[in-house]
Amino acid sequence: MSAHFTVWGPPEALAAGAVSQTMASLPATFGPAADNQPGVADVLVIAGGPGWTAEATRAIAAGARGMVVANPLPEATAELAAAADAAGTAVVLDLRWASNAALVGDAGDPDARDAVRGALGTASLLDSVASAAPGTNPQQLLGEHLAALLAVCGPLHGVRVLAGGSVGYTLGGRLANGAPFTAQGVLTAARPCGVDIRLYTADGGVAVHVPDPDAAWPAEVRVTGAHGELLLPTLYETAHRSVWRRLKEHLRAGTRPDDLAGFARLTDLYATLAVT
Amino acid sequence: MSQHAAPADRPLGVGFLGAGPVTQAIHLPALARLQDILEVRHVMDVDAAVASSVAARVGAVAGTSIDALLADPGVDIVAICSPHQFHADQVIAACRAGKKAVLCEKPFAMNGEEAARISAVSAETGVPIIVGAMHTFDPGWLAAEQNWADLPEQVHTIRSSIVLPPNARFEDFATEIITRPAAGQPDYADIEVIKAALQGGVMGLAIHDLPLVRRFTPDFEQIEVRHVFHVRPFGYAISLRTPTRVIELRAVMNSTWKPEWIFEAIGDDAALHINFTPSYVQAGSAVATITRGTESSIFGPYGHNGYEGEWRELAGIANGHRPAPSARALIDDLTFALAIADTTVAGAAALHADAANTAGVSA
Repeated sequence: MSAHFTVWGPPEALAAGAVSQTMASLPATFGPAADNQPGVADVLVIAGGPGWTAEATRAIAAGARGMVVANPLPEATAELAAAADAAGTAVVLDLRWASNAALVGDAGDPDARDAVRGALGTASLLDSVASAAPGTNPQQLLGEHLAALLAVCGPLHGVRVLAGGSVGYTLGGRLANGAPFTAQGVLTAARPCGVDIRLYTADGGVAVHVPDPDAAWPAEVRVTGAHGELLLPTLYETAHRSVWRRLKEHLRAGTRPDDLAGFARLTDLYATLAVT
Repeated sequence: MSQHAAPADRPLGVGFLGAGPVTQAIHLPALARLQDILEVRHVMDVDAAVASSVAARVGAVAGTSIDALLADPGVDIVAICSPHQFHADQVIAACRAGKKAVLCEKPFAMNGEEAARISAVSAETGVPIIVGAMHTFDPGWLAAEQNWADLPEQVHTIRSSIVLPPNARFEDFATEIITRPAAGQPDYADIEVIKAALQGGVMGLAIHDLPLVRRFTPDFEQIEVRHVFHVRPFGYAISLRTPTRVIELRAVMNSTWKPEWIFEAIGDDAALHINFTPSYVQAGSAVATITRGTESSIFGPYGHNGYEGEWRELAGIANGHRPAPSARALIDDLTFALAIADTTVAGAAALHADAANTAGVSA
């Protein structure tokens, strides 16, 4: 019989991470804490608003075995990571697009990261567009966009904001081979929210589309080359569920995820960029 | 001189100044679909062998003389497909020859002074001029235009994204090319090479969609280039701004087999997305999608592309069935493109220095 882990979080965090419906898709593993008592839950959920790292550090001291952070803003995570290591707490980050399993999949599964990184050597241009609803804070969109890019692209050099304003932003930089990299954020209700990443190479490239996690519509990863075009297997799983599935594996195995280490790269880069 | 009879319902005669790959692989195949209204009667090229070979394909007169073509009474419409630097003088000569219409491949001039001279001669002679901005004649674009209502006022972001293989791939699907220009090995360490590539990128590739961009940019005269990347082996990533519009241009020409030619105009609540077919092949029209909120309307595909559309329009204008295009619009399109090209090239040196300065800085 599977282990069953109890979950607690404040209502705003549960809503931000779509936790109820996600737990319902992993019913043998996760369930709500009895009487909604935070003190007895195995897994805590916190919202990733300003100050979330301090809140998470305090929660770890209270003894949670696992923690899910819903939509974390870029913040310094070194202290939190040290606390998690000391307490043996598995901290996973639920990122709007970057957590989609099509970007970084299970070991051995084909994913966008392998496809993109395998093609970077002959890159001509990497161009990305993230779309979000009007009213979205462009700076927040920038963080979510960068998280997805860093998940698949590896190091980006000389990244800076080329232009920014109330309807979006444009970033520029260079890939490891010197080819240009551009990323645009657009606020509109006339495009589905999501992020597109297009890598153009000497003889084709990689096209990635990641939808929002509010439904299990699959991301698409297409690899184009002399062979034709290959669509990687589609995964009808939201980014939320892939996060909880990873947490399940870590809790069962007693291992700790590297989410916080990866997030530190985003935080460092984000700190240098401001959409004005 | 061609020796054609001239009944009232005979097709209009076309003469080509320049018989290179664009004439061979784009215009002749398009005209082969329009033989009831248009007929190639005269082909001029500086290379007599090329002129003869291309003319022979369509039963036209061949020659190396511009004057002879312009004096040919069988030629009603002059198509100018020569290198860019000859366009202005040849357009003016064709107007002065009293032809029924002139088609000039883009760009129709290389500076504002040339554009003004052309405009004056066109007004003086009454000869209409069409610039070969084929996407503006694409039935997909035209259908979108009929249906986009107030979208141009709503738009805040415009994107043009072009991914193409080398021209030869599609030329070879369209015809049997002769006289393909030799490809060199560019020295990217030479800033002049980069400048020339960017100039060519804007005036040879981006220019296809700049009239479309301008339609959604009422304050186009205040265009500002924010940043330019040169893309190897050929392409660009250009960030533009006006006080009210964000404009991003992307292009990559590599060895892919998969073309992609997308134009987007995006507002808060509505957007236009157009997927154009590649040049050279007769692959039908673009497909345009207008989205308002979560509902979309799709226009196309239709049976012909913008090149065929521009020839249909030319025939209509030459026959007096269609109004001539506004000279003001043609000049505005040109000055818009020239402004972008000039500032792009001017920024190339800074771009070069920037690449050196940022090398090794890891995010």
